[in-house]
Amino acid sequence: QNIPVTGKVTSKKTGEPLAGATVSVKGTSAATLTDENGKFGINAKSGATLLITYQGMIDAEKTISGAGTVNIQLEENNTATLSDVVVIGYGTQKKSVVTGAISSVKAADIENQQINRIEQALQGRTSGVTIASTSGSPGAAATVRVRGVTSINANNPLWVIDGVIVDNGGIGYLNTNDIESIEVLKDAASAAIYGTRGAAGVILVTTKKGKAGTMRVNYNGYYGTQAPAKRLDLLDATQYATLRNEAAVNGGGAPIFTNPSSFGKGTDWQSVIFNESAPIQNHEVSLSGGGEKSTYYASFGYFSQTGIVASDISNWKRYSLRLNSTHKIGNYITFAQNLGFARTRNQGISTNTEFGGPLSSAINLDPITPVVITDPAIANAAPYSTQPVVRDDLGRPYGISQYVQQEMTNPAAFMRTQRGNFSSADDIVGNAYVEVEPIKGLKIRSTLGAKLSYWGGDSYRPVYYLNAAQQSTNNQFTRNSNQLFNWNIENTISYTKSIDKHNFTILAAQGAYRENFTSGLSVTKSNLPVTTFEDASMNFNVATANVTASASEGTVHAISSLFGRLNYNFDEKYLVSAIVRRDGSSRFGANHQYGIFPSGSIGWVPTREEFWRPNNILNTLKVRASYGVNGSDEIGNFGYVSTIGGGRNYPFGVDNLQTGYSPNAPSNPDLKWEQTSQLDLGFDAVLFRNLTLSFDWYYKKTTGILRSVTLPGYVGSTGSPVANIADMNNKGVEIELGYRKEIGKLNFDVRGNVGFVKNEVTYLGDNIAFIGTGANFQNSDFDLQRTSVGLPYNYFFGFRTAGIFQNQKQIDDYVGGPSNTKIQPNAKPGDFRWVDANNDGRINGDDRVMLGNAIPTMTYGITLNMNYKNFDFLLFGQGVSGNKIYQGLRRLDIPSANWQTKALNRWTGENTSNSFPRLSTNDANRNFAYPSDFTLESGAYFRIKTLQVGYTLPRSITSKAGIQRVRFYLSSNNLLTITKYTGYDPEVGGAQDVFGSDNGVYPQSRSFLFGVNIGF
Amino acid sequence: CKKDFLDVDPGATIMETNYYKNPQEAFAGLVAAYDPLGVETVNTYHNFGALNAASDDTYAGGGGPADMNTWQVWEKYTLDELTGPQGDFWNRNYNGVARANVILSRLGNIPGLDDATKKRYIAEAKFLRGYFYFDLVRIFKNVPLFTAPLTTSEIYGVLQAKPEDVYAQVEKDLNEAIPDLPTTVPKATEGGRATKGAAKALLGKVYLYEKKWAQAAAQFADVNGTPGGTSTLGYKLLTNFGDIFRPDNKYNTESIFEIVRTSVANSGWGNWGSFEGNVAVTMFGPRGYSGPTYVSGWSFNPITPQLNAAMAGDPRKPFTIANIDSIVNAAPGRAYEKGYNNTGLFIEKYAPKTQWRSTGGGAAELNWPNNYIEIRLSDTYLMEAEALVQSNTNLTRAADLLNAVRARVGLGPITATLDNIYNERRLELATEGHRWYDLVRTGRAPAVLGFRGFVAGKHEILPIPQRELNNTKLVQNPGYK
Repeated sequence: QNIPVTGKVTSKKTGEPLAGATVSVKGTSAATLTDENGKFGINAKSGATLLITYQGMIDAEKTISGAGTVNIQLEENNTATLSDVVVIGYGTQKKSVVTGAISSVKAADIENQQINRIEQALQGRTSGVTIASTSGSPGAAATVRVRGVTSINANNPLWVIDGVIVDNGGIGYLNTNDIESIEVLKDAASAAIYGTRGAAGVILVTTKKGKAGTMRVNYNGYYGTQAPAKRLDLLDATQYATLRNEAAVNGGGAPIFTNPSSFGKGTDWQSVIFNESAPIQNHEVSLSGGGEKSTYYASFGYFSQTGIVASDISNWKRYSLRLNSTHKIGNYITFAQNLGFARTRNQGISTNTEFGGPLSSAINLDPITPVVITDPAIANAAPYSTQPVVRDDLGRPYGISQYVQQEMTNPAAFMRTQRGNFSSADDIVGNAYVEVEPIKGLKIRSTLGAKLSYWGGDSYRPVYYLNAAQQSTNNQFTRNSNQLFNWNIENTISYTKSIDKHNFTILAAQGAYRENFTSGLSVTKSNLPVTTFEDASMNFNVATANVTASASEGTVHAISSLFGRLNYNFDEKYLVSAIVRRDGSSRFGANHQYGIFPSGSIGWVPTREEFWRPNNILNTLKVRASYGVNGSDEIGNFGYVSTIGGGRNYPFGVDNLQTGYSPNAPSNPDLKWEQTSQLDLGFDAVLFRNLTLSFDWYYKKTTGILRSVTLPGYVGSTGSPVANIADMNNKGVEIELGYRKEIGKLNFDVRGNVGFVKNEVTYLGDNIAFIGTGANFQNSDFDLQRTSVGLPYNYFFGFRTAGIFQNQKQIDDYVGGPSNTKIQPNAKPGDFRWVDANNDGRINGDDRVMLGNAIPTMTYGITLNMNYKNFDFLLFGQGVSGNKIYQGLRRLDIPSANWQTKALNRWTGENTSNSFPRLSTNDANRNFAYPSDFTLESGAYFRIKTLQVGYTLPRSITSKAGIQRVRFYLSSNNLLTITKYTGYDPEVGGAQDVFGSDNGVYPQSRSFLFGVNIGF
Repeated sequence: CKKDFLDVDPGATIMETNYYKNPQEAFAGLVAAYDPLGVETVNTYHNFGALNAASDDTYAGGGGPADMNTWQVWEKYTLDELTGPQGDFWNRNYNGVARANVILSRLGNIPGLDDATKKRYIAEAKFLRGYFYFDLVRIFKNVPLFTAPLTTSEIYGVLQAKPEDVYAQVEKDLNEAIPDLPTTVPKATEGGRATKGAAKALLGKVYLYEKKWAQAAAQFADVNGTPGGTSTLGYKLLTNFGDIFRPDNKYNTESIFEIVRTSVANSGWGNWGSFEGNVAVTMFGPRGYSGPTYVSGWSFNPITPQLNAAMAGDPRKPFTIANIDSIVNAAPGRAYEKGYNNTGLFIEKYAPKTQWRSTGGGAAELNWPNNYIEIRLSDTYLMEAEALVQSNTNLTRAADLLNAVRARVGLGPITATLDNIYNERRLELATEGHRWYDLVRTGRAPAVLGFRGFVAGKHEILPIPQRELNNTKLVQNPGYK
């Protein structure tokens, strides 16, 4: 006989009612949800047990003794990380039975933080994942490396958003507030389910879904301002003129400036480009809810950020929409869809390039040139009177440096020439699936996913004269428009069953992926009858000769896959998982078109054994081991054949341009999959009830790395053929720690993680000891980085300095080699003493040695959350160490470029300096042109990424207004960076070959924000 | 899943195995072999400006002491295996060799290609291969030699050939090319393609470098004919010296082999590496110039006081040296920025003149239509005269040749001595990129260029680019080890 039971579910910690908690009667199908006041009503037999579950809380049970009211308090789950559910690709698994190495970030970890791009959500929160911003420019992507550098050619992890594979560059569309969870599959056994594409790690993103219950409406918003965290100390005009004179005299010339002090302080170019109060704001509204049959989640977001550098031409806006829903059709069928749309609009400046851009110009321009010419005598003389110079609103010409030219231009003038130019993108990413569950545990699912993108932009180039090298003699208006379409279809069948203590899930699946249906058009019209971007229009008719157009289309990338997985455990004590995936790729020749990627992992939970005696020290322990193989086909298309390339044109006669074609490179029909195998050993433990600890050790080996080979020039090849040429390995350790404690009304939660990785290249091809990057820095005499057998990938390579020669005697005494001759006979006092590394008695390219890692060997992060009554506090910091940065902010090939003030400590006479050499226009000793430890600096830093204080209004106040929750907060991002690095910002990402080279990276801003969260 | 799911449309990607199947594709392959002739930008700028900077005719110049550093270090003879113009010289010519080898290996059996056309294409490809190898052997001396495309497995086993073997191959290619090359080509549509005259002139020049005087003179005699008259191959000195370099006077009767440039490609900076205009013209112009006749350039190759003095009173001087200082000082409102090593004197033969400036799309500074004349008749006159004097045969004809060159600009006759011929070459061919080679091959370089730092036994050739030594069996040239 059923009796009615009513009750209320509340949080033990806060006393607040919990809406949407599930209340079920054990052993029956009866279940209900609590309402917004935490109340429920259900019928149950007397003596039955109620099971109350709520995400993030420990399950509670209550035995019914009779009709009436029961009140249940749920405790927060202090060991949440072990009982959480983890997304593992084509399914989920309880964290307690996971045997792979997976790091998770949950919505709760990031919901109060001002994260604009998903990469920032991973930074410092996931061990073994290295994130470095390529730029502090609004909307800029970051470089992401999972467990070090896996390969030479493709190191970007695979991003899978709700089951749709999204290319690495294309994830900026995602509104981070929509993220429910992010899982990083780090070991090969976990990533093996993504076979050919998982070698560099897989990042699974799940967006929020609705929950049954009343509709919940949330608003999150913040507004703040940003400023540069640091300015460089650059020479003022007097100092600059003094040092130029000194360099000229040392170089054997005459002083350039007769009276340096007459220039005074001069121009501070940094204040021309930096904005001390660049606004940033974000607003997001979400609705979620649903009933038994259908649930939904919908959100709208608006994000806008103005850059701190050259704000007029540096900003980013994103409008995003999301609609996710799930529907039960009858008893067996579920239909679900996830759809995200975003429009981004961006104005950007080129960054991390020494070739122009406002940042590089501000660093390198001389401080003598004024921003604006106010002296009529100068304004009425060449070049101002004769050239189409750029003028300010008052008609005054912007100053043009006589001393520093080439790509360095007055940034104020440059910004004017770029005004209005923008690029924009529309991205639609979605999927839908139908799942049938004809018998309990057997699920047959068919998923269709797609990504559709449109992007392009408008740019107008006016007529201008920025300096002798940077001129535009006609105006041009360019519009480009591109589109992309990817689709995939996946059919999976899975069966989950528990028989006695045997629990297993079997998955078999088929997938087909076709990507990169792209096309693009670009049109340029020249000589329009306008002078500004605003007036420029494609509707102007210009002569045919003034119209140029180009169009392009991409080559489709196809993958066809079959894969299966078995997860088995006995009593959650003995754990086994096995995966096999077979992939075929359009990027390989018939000889090696298919690859098979197997993996397996096992785990054991001794704390569940009967012999284990429960104690207060070690509460839970799981040990695990995994091994697997992944692949990579990230080599571009048709690498295995010799292709014919065009553009080898030559004019005959008079203006009779002929089109030429020739082979790009010799062919390589044996091209095959690159393989990454990985062994992972680890354990997860709960100690002293409140301390969670995860540990992983791994050994990752990549063989047959696909790489474009730079052939010797005598081959005469225009392109570089692709070959399986190299092997490398990564060894590392990762530790994640968490600790939670309640002390009276104070709750605190500390989590930290640290990852160490050691990379070594083991093979580069027969008889090939090294490959250079070919990336000479400006006119440096040698390239900066090199990859050699036995050393880490792309390490810094150059000369070592051993102080500075203080006098001629030291030069004369510096002898070596077989006949004890002077090693640097042409050096002068004040020049570097180069280390004769090979002891041959002279200094040349053979004396270069490994100078440091380009990629950090240690990454770490720490998060501290505290609550006291209605106040909350968050501190999040992250850091890296073990890497070097090439500080290349000053143009080497412009001897007249400005210096940082550290140049004031140059050598000027005996014992004036032993670290900064003399300045000379004739750098015969190559003090500055040799890449050396002089220009390399430690890249280690620790940064307080977020510091936040929040206050939640008491419920007694808000409930009167019908509002569940109102929280205000003050927050600061990048408040403090501890580093010895002398550039703007030690966080230097970038294309993989220039990782660690700072040629003027757009620095991260320091922001102060005020925000509010409201829940209805 | 079906296998055809993985077969994707190659789009515009053409497989080598499907190419060279018809006459159009054969022609496109030949054009590709011509393409490296016009190479200007690989790492920096490859063109005769580098050779001018290395000679005593001009400085490197430019915007500063490190601007176009590859030229600066050659000018000062501080170049080494890493820094210098060698990479561009090397790559340009080996690209040419490779493309000539590819087309030669494919011309055997192309459906629809008639025999006469095929013979001409083979001859042109051999001419080009000879041209590229001659350029390689004279400036690097010790270079690898191959006459067929390299396969993947051969690449790292390549050795340098003996210079005499390279010269022998050049002679063989040119000798084989001559019979099948046309005597003349239609100027408007085919000007710049290899002709009998071009091949003979080049072969004569090759013999001259080898000091095979009699054979050199014989080839030149065919090209030159009666001094001052029209040769059987159709060459004749122009009456007006200044007309030789006009872009509206391409393929004139004095021109034997031109590297063709055009403005119609409308190249922009994005076309780096494949410009079709003559960028040297912009490089030689005065920086920030405002005034008549010329447009601004980048101030490279300012004329040295030595050349200016040598040309004093010579009727060719105004056509050789642009005196920008005097133009700017002549009227108010005119100006230019003084670049590095500025002398106020600029190259006139390839100067950026307002009237030839491209008005089409792209960047005007990259689209000058001025052809570079690599071999012209007064050059072959003087080379023949030199060969005759060296071999001490027919000194009368040597004098006739020398004095025909002088008479054209109104100068009186002089004796055909080596010194007179050398001097005439300098004045006649100044800033055209020949001076440095002349000084080196006649052994005068250490004396003439010693003040710049030229070291005998070292600087006659360039170092092998360092990149070519990495992981290969190549050895560095002596002096640069």
